[in-house]
Amino acid sequence: MANEIKFILNGQEQVYDGNLAARLLDVLREKFNLTGTKSGCKEGECGACSVIIDGKLMNSCLIAMGRVDGSTILTIEGYSETERFLALSDAYESVSAVQCGFCTPGMILASESILSSNPHPSEEEVRIGISGNLCRCTGYNSIVKAIGIAAEKGSGLW
Amino acid sequence: MVNCVTAHSLEEALVLRKNHELIPYVGGTDLMIHADEKSKYLFLHKVPEMKQIVEDDDYIRFGASCTFTEIIEHSLSPKILKDACSQIGAPTIRNVGSIGGNIGNGSPKADSALICMVTDSKLRLANSAGERIIPIKDFYLGHKKLDLLPDELIVEILMPKNGLDNYYHKKVGARNALAISRVSFAGIMDIKENKVKNCATAYGAVSDVIIRVNSIDNMLIGKTIEEAKELKDAYLKAFDQAIVPIKGRVGIEYRKDVCMNLLRDFLEINGI
Amino acid sequence: MKPISKSIPKRDHLTKANGSAMYVCDYPTEDVLFGKLLRSGVPKANILNVKLPGLPEGYHYIDKNDVPGTNQVAIVLKDTPVFAESTVEHIGDPIGMIVGPNEHEVNRLLNETKIEYKELEPVFDVKKSDVVFFDYNYEKGDIEKAFIEADKIFEEEFETGLQEHMYLETNGLIADYSNGKIHIHGSIQCPYFVHDAVVHAMGIKHEDVSVAQDTMGGGFGGKEDHPSVMACQAAVAAYKLKKSVRIIYDRKEDVEATSKRHPSFCHYKVAVKDNHITGMQINVLYDAGAYTTLSPVVLQRGIIGACGIYNVPNLKVHGQARKTNTVPSGAFRGFGAPQTFFAVEMMMTHIAKDLGIDPVEFKLKHVSKQGELTSTSGKFHEPVPIPSMIDRVIKASDYYKKKEKYEKSTRLKSTHTKRYRRGIGLSAVYHGGGFTGNGERDLIKAVVKLKKDPIGNVEILTAITDMGQGINTVFAKIVSQELNLPIDRIIINYPDTSKVPNSGPTVASRSVMIVGELLRKAAAKLKEDWIDGREQIIEEHYKHPEFLIPFDLSTFYGDAYPSYSWAVNAVEVEIDTYTGCIDVIGAWGSFDVGTPIDENIVIGQMEGGFLQSIGYGMMEKMTAVNGRIRNNTFSDYIIPTAVDVPNMHVMLHVEDYSHGPYGAKGAGELPHVGGAPAVIDAIQNALGVTLNKTPFLAEDVMDVLRRQKSNG
Repeated sequence: MANEIKFILNGQEQVYDGNLAARLLDVLREKFNLTGTKSGCKEGECGACSVIIDGKLMNSCLIAMGRVDGSTILTIEGYSETERFLALSDAYESVSAVQCGFCTPGMILASESILSSNPHPSEEEVRIGISGNLCRCTGYNSIVKAIGIAAEKGSGLW
Repeated sequence: MVNCVTAHSLEEALVLRKNHELIPYVGGTDLMIHADEKSKYLFLHKVPEMKQIVEDDDYIRFGASCTFTEIIEHSLSPKILKDACSQIGAPTIRNVGSIGGNIGNGSPKADSALICMVTDSKLRLANSAGERIIPIKDFYLGHKKLDLLPDELIVEILMPKNGLDNYYHKKVGARNALAISRVSFAGIMDIKENKVKNCATAYGAVSDVIIRVNSIDNMLIGKTIEEAKELKDAYLKAFDQAIVPIKGRVGIEYRKDVCMNLLRDFLEINGI
Repeated sequence: MKPISKSIPKRDHLTKANGSAMYVCDYPTEDVLFGKLLRSGVPKANILNVKLPGLPEGYHYIDKNDVPGTNQVAIVLKDTPVFAESTVEHIGDPIGMIVGPNEHEVNRLLNETKIEYKELEPVFDVKKSDVVFFDYNYEKGDIEKAFIEADKIFEEEFETGLQEHMYLETNGLIADYSNGKIHIHGSIQCPYFVHDAVVHAMGIKHEDVSVAQDTMGGGFGGKEDHPSVMACQAAVAAYKLKKSVRIIYDRKEDVEATSKRHPSFCHYKVAVKDNHITGMQINVLYDAGAYTTLSPVVLQRGIIGACGIYNVPNLKVHGQARKTNTVPSGAFRGFGAPQTFFAVEMMMTHIAKDLGIDPVEFKLKHVSKQGELTSTSGKFHEPVPIPSMIDRVIKASDYYKKKEKYEKSTRLKSTHTKRYRRGIGLSAVYHGGGFTGNGERDLIKAVVKLKKDPIGNVEILTAITDMGQGINTVFAKIVSQELNLPIDRIIINYPDTSKVPNSGPTVASRSVMIVGELLRKAAAKLKEDWIDGREQIIEEHYKHPEFLIPFDLSTFYGDAYPSYSWAVNAVEVEIDTYTGCIDVIGAWGSFDVGTPIDENIVIGQMEGGFLQSIGYGMMEKMTAVNGRIRNNTFSDYIIPTAVDVPNMHVMLHVEDYSHGPYGAKGAGELPHVGGAPAVIDAIQNALGVTLNKTPFLAEDVMDVLRRQKSNG
């Protein structure tokens, strides 16, 4: 039984032959040097480690490597090369929705996750969409606003 | 020696489960909180039978590894289950966590298990020798004690198709998302032609296991609304005795009060 | 709004958004040793023996015997040891540290290490503690006379709980060693605090230490004193092993071992004559935890604010911080003020209720005015804008209409059977900008520098840290505006003590008001002296404003603060009487921080602080059971998610400060002062009772409802 898995990480196929019980978060940060994915709690509460796997937002701290065999993984590093990222980043910037920044990569991926399934979300839908991503700095107002701006200005991107 | 393995069919999964000491891994949202790199997992997310949501004459059958998001988005899922699943954790958790894991975790706080209990759902358990279908109530033997053999897996959850439309559900957590239930209540009242066809209640996060006392709920079944009203006091009193909370992050008195308040509301809303 | 208030993109925006910003946890670890602390598992004991497992090659145990200088962490006093001497004083007290190249192995060794103790009797109840760390008194007027002449005397005690910062990034830093020199970098709120502490513990020269800030994932006060402890520990190990040593806490360790907001008891005795408050006698008791850390300064700020924004002619205040065998309390946004402001705001509503006067009217009748004396017989030198701010908040929130409606329904038995009850509450508070008293003049003596290169780019050199609050953007704006230079010609980096002068710590809402003004002055000088093509360095030193009445710390007499920022908060709640759950359904705030240097940044500060304060009121409960913090994770210590709060309505009121840059005053802490009393007032309104503690949770609601029921 070959203890080897394959997955697509930020558009590139990767072969991984390490421990399949390891956390995806640790492997992303340590093996792939993708340190934009942050570790805030390692219990799936804070959302700082959010990544998008097969189109869904997930906490990479709660994913064992065996679970991502055959999956497509998008981290902030891959996402930041997209037009959608630019639209979101501009929107966040316009209302200064980034403070300490530790939640931001996860929050931006949560924003993507919201808009990709619902390009024109209501405020309530936005709030539910980011409810797994804790932010201690902003009080969420500016983030919610930014996602609304991105939806409006980036119309057509999602 | 086997480390972690991914099963691609139920048969393969059951053989692996029998021959090796592996921890069944479906969503992983509970397991990975205490991740240990030495753990040997049996990954089940690629077992087709455990991933589907289908119906037969009597039941909607949820594969154990269906995620909460999949359940919420599926047209066959009863509203009561969608309601409970959409209050679990947050999108990040709902996209990963599974109904089978929620049940197999054995916690009385499991929000989807509460719905399985109140709907008298059944579990399809299998090992390499065969399978058995048991009421979920019999599955829970005590605090984190399950009627599950070491080589068995939860394959499917069988939820009755009918009679679930008139339901009541309330999850009480410490906040509106990312909340672990501190008390949860679900009730089903099926009234046809002024008669109680079915009455079922379940109380989560108050005791070692989810509380479901059919004998008390049966008091109202078959009765007219007027008869049920007369039985109301006795019914409430019986539950008042049957619900014996344990202390957790919130106190016993609090848990009891909330359960009884919600139970009363459930009756009143249904005209009882 | 002035042109400078117009928002610009934050300097750190893109690198944080695309994940490329380097926090301390993001540095490569190839040549770095991991340090993990061996901590006390008991609240008070003599250490008899530390039994280590066999340490593989490359793994080391570091403890007090390795400290080359003094085994003390210099904070305000020096009672916090780097590593425990012979006793431990709280669960989590560091005894030693295991250091090695593999983190898992270090953890394994740590788990196998056994500590033998002789346990001693701990003290957990601050009221029973007989170790008084700090004791302050002050008074004005004649309190005895006020009580004798009073029509009515009110007495009540208020309780506030622990609050944890829960910055998303835990505490962490790395100590590098090279040629006898120590360089520390990491998540550090006050680099010079750390610098001085390391010099003291290591016994090495000032110039052999440097401390730099990395990108920081929040602080809120939680990284003010603790990094000094960690830096000393890491420096001791790095010095001994001549290698880089990294200490980064996991979440549990961060919650269990680092400082929190002081729990408090505040006792008020208030004299009222002709429906007017004539005197207050206030006893304030703060639970300092096991070591003194920042308690003296926290307590000072707390007692100075004890009579709130009100003019109380006869005032007697006594404050104590006592020791208990729990994790030391420390700095947290608001810095001692949220406790006493909570107490006085509740007291005011309770007295008003008893007197049958509308609480807002009652508060307005007592609000201090420009020219009147402060609690410490200083002066409110500038206008007090509270009345117009209250007016604005009342209108925005529809306060009176709601209040009347909700009050009526709590009084009517018929509506008592309804499931949901609503309430609205209001608070009015201030926060003094800068260090208390003469701190800025006598202790801090801030210095800033501007360095112009021959091309004409200007670098800002201060010790102020941008933890996310946006100060680097704000400073760049001030200098760019004053020099009339494009913003991209202004350079500003995270501080390194080997490069920047000591402009003081990033605390006390002083960064813009004090250091920003120094930069403005330096920029004005540079503009005047500007010579094309040459490198120029301008240095600016703090000067105490002359209009201030000198403050005497022994009597608490004089101007405690040069300027005050003001806030009025209203919060509306809906309570589910079946479950006790409290939902915040409306939140309004008017904030006066003078001229906002950047509107978005200031609004972001107000919104973020307001929500932390709301959390302090109705959500964030932390309990220590026998000295052990129970709520040590994000799932157990509950902070608000995006669905726990509605859109908060933040309004800015501008009352300029004559000595702040473009009129700016202190901002960061203000929003954390008034949220909790507004929430609790709203809950009072919904339930028709008077309340005296924060936080107030669902279980507390059910207790009230149970009592109401049994009383018929």
